[in-house]
Amino acid sequence: MEGETIVRVEGLVKDFRPGFGLTKRRVLHGITFEVRRGEIFGFIGPNGAGKTTTLKVLMGLIRASAGRAELLGHAVSESEFRREIGFAPESPYFYEFLTGREILSFYARLCDVAPAQIAARVDAVLGEVGLSHAGDARLRTYSKGMLQRIGIAQAIVHDPAVIFLDEPMSGLDPVGRKEIRDLIVRLNAQGKTVFMNTHILSDVEMICDRVAIIVKGRIAYQGALDGFPGERKLFDVTLASLPPDFVEEVEAQLGTKLDGRGERVTLRLAEKEMNELVQAALVRGARIEEIVRHRDDLETLFLRAVEESR
Amino acid sequence: MRGAIAAIAVNTVRDAVRNRVLYILVFFSLVMIGTSVVLATLSYVERARILQDVGLGAIRFFGAAIAIFMGVNLIHREVERRTIYTILSKPVTRASFLAGKYLGLVATLWLQLAIMMLAFVLVSLASGAALGAGHAIALGLVAVELAVVVAFATLFSSFATPFLAACYSVGLYLVGHLTRDLRALGAGSESEVFAQTAVWIHRVFPDLSALNRTIEAVHGLPIPPPEVGWALVAGLAWCLGFLLVAVVVFERRDFR
Repeated sequence: MEGETIVRVEGLVKDFRPGFGLTKRRVLHGITFEVRRGEIFGFIGPNGAGKTTTLKVLMGLIRASAGRAELLGHAVSESEFRREIGFAPESPYFYEFLTGREILSFYARLCDVAPAQIAARVDAVLGEVGLSHAGDARLRTYSKGMLQRIGIAQAIVHDPAVIFLDEPMSGLDPVGRKEIRDLIVRLNAQGKTVFMNTHILSDVEMICDRVAIIVKGRIAYQGALDGFPGERKLFDVTLASLPPDFVEEVEAQLGTKLDGRGERVTLRLAEKEMNELVQAALVRGARIEEIVRHRDDLETLFLRAVEESR
Repeated sequence: MRGAIAAIAVNTVRDAVRNRVLYILVFFSLVMIGTSVVLATLSYVERARILQDVGLGAIRFFGAAIAIFMGVNLIHREVERRTIYTILSKPVTRASFLAGKYLGLVATLWLQLAIMMLAFVLVSLASGAALGAGHAIALGLVAVELAVVVAFATLFSSFATPFLAACYSVGLYLVGHLTRDLRALGAGSESEVFAQTAVWIHRVFPDLSALNRTIEAVHGLPIPPPEVGWALVAGLAWCLGFLLVAVVVFERRDFR
């Protein structure tokens, strides 16, 4: 089942008609991407790029103007299969007069969880999100972080196979962000596919398997977090115990002065240059301490994608 | 599907009964029913009738006010608070959501109506005013009328802002109580166009005066059972009609 397509979006278009609807504004320009079973997928983009609109189409909250969107092989307009998915919106707001336990029981009933299992399931989920102590408190007394966690709790109370999270770390302090990140990783380890809408790139780099970058309603990149398109193959080479004449040779060859002269130097080189330097260093008795493949980070790729769309 | 409708209805009642604003409205209605005792003392004749007339009038007025106030916010609040996002992303159809919210609100209103009815009965008994089957029928028809008012308020709430939905609802409520008189006026008119227009208005808009039997109840006049039966059938049909249109409108809506 690993690798099976869970979310399939093909040529998705969404037009909004602001005001009296005489003109239309296109916010999604035929986007295409897919999410596979078992992965943590990051859907990233700047504000107003179309992330939430895409998610709302997938959740059946807005209708696509054209194109196709499928979840678990079902058209998103269908309802029954939604037992298999969970959704936590950004900054969720719930019926504030209800307690955490009551709201989770309500959502469990909506998902046809057997009545005899609801109490046990609610307790388990409250424990999972670290809210066991607050289950009987009304939601109006919850902090933002607690509401964020109850939002995720309602998304998993029926034990779905796929979880959609819209900006799950938004507005949380570093501790809260780590807790949510750990929770997402735990859920993924349980076999759940996670689709995460976010603009916090460091979180994406830490936990996502693949990403799609959306800019101005178009997919600018989709794929794994290594091997970004346009990335040059560079290596960071660290050498030590270099003879002084070898240092001069290298400096002449690179046209730059080396820091650390002879003790320990690190150079960023293309593959061919790296091979030549390593061979020469070995012949001249220098010590090779480390060779590391240099990768562009997600931020570099993200900023490049945004820049190219201008 | 029925499980989801029941869960949403129960949740709507629970959320509503914990909202203090409603208690304020119910409190005012109880004050008004109590005031009927004072008003009745101002007259030397027919004190019991004045007391019951004012009492039933207060129940109908506050019942409709609460129904419109809650009905026009029914969907808007869910969209505004984004609670609708988490519900519609579950295996819940939009029609089930609307049905659950509607039934929950009607149950809440009937609960409030029961409190007002109890106050009315206690005031009547304390004042020595007679109570009979006519009162039970009149109050039962008020319950049906509230269900109709919630249905059209829900329809307006499915596409308009609360303010506009309230304007439409109040307008329809007033027209609904005037269509029968308008038809009678048209029948006596020399203008054929006016007569036909009045007939069509009476046919198109809900005839809410069919659900108003307070005069008969207060004056002890007979209420023919077929008329009660017809009013019940018509009330149910209006509820279903408004809700069906609301579902069609709601199905097409984007939640941005």
